Amino acid sequence: MYRAFVITALALLISGPAMADASCSKAPSSKFQPKTTLEEKLKAEGLTVRQIKLEGGCYEVYAVDKDKKKVNTAYNAETLEKVANAEAGED
Amino acid sequence: MPRPARTERGLPAPADAHRSTATMRVWDPLVRIFHWSLVTSFAVAWLSRHGSELLHDGAGYLAAGLVLVRVLWGTLGTPYARFSQFVRGPQTVLRYLRAILGGREARHIGHNPAGGAMALVLMAGMAATALTGWMMTTDAWFGVAWVQTVHGLIAQGMLLLVALHVGGVALACLRHRENLVAAMITGRKRKAAAGDVA
Repeated sequence: MYRAFVITALALLISGPAMADASCSKAPSSKFQPKTTLEEKLKAEGLTVRQIKLEGGCYEVYAVDKDKKKVNTAYNAETLEKVANAEAGED
Repeated sequence: MPRPARTERGLPAPADAHRSTATMRVWDPLVRIFHWSLVTSFAVAWLSRHGSELLHDGAGYLAAGLVLVRVLWGTLGTPYARFSQFVRGPQTVLRYLRAILGGREARHIGHNPAGGAMALVLMAGMAATALTGWMMTTDAWFGVAWVQTVHGLIAQGMLLLVALHVGGVALACLRHRENLVAAMITGRKRKAAAGDVA
């Protein structure tokens, strides 16, 4: 029981950082992926992209989904990982 | 202990007074509350433009509501609150602006023609800023670049207009030797003298 607890705790400790939300890139902008790559990815997800703005190390996306509902998200400009807070790049 | 008399309001001015200190009621409470609430909501919206969305949007809705109420009050309100009292045609406004340049503009108890025009433009600008801001939250206009651009441009224009408004008020204060900021708080202004427009 005790061993199981320690193993679980250790497993969580190790996997924890990997599960944490992505944040905006701190790399120079030369490392950023082009907007078009992100746009293609979003189109493939069924979104209609209205605008992509570079804000800090994040791309902020203004889009609508298939039901024409607005979708506001941000992606790490380097990895194109989704960032939890759509305004993350503005801080 | 009795408190000292707070004010000489309504008492006749001493006969030897160079300038009468008698005042009259001009701006009703709704006009004054509207004015300072609009100042606050614009300031909050401006300062939170990159910050809290809740605060920014809330200030925008408040500003829109305030303008709506003021427009209704402009037709139903007390005499000096009514548009018919202070809205003048462009020619009258231009003539007044020229008179200011010549240093011979009359003191008005209500808004002077230039001030009235400014009040209208500020209200229209505030309404337009609030409208485009609201559009940005809707599915139909969300993320549409021109709406964002127009919203930002009108807001910046508002800042410029506010500066002009404050400058105009300061000038009128100096020219007519009265504190118009205090008048917008107390609602009272010095009674009309000869040459003033009541």
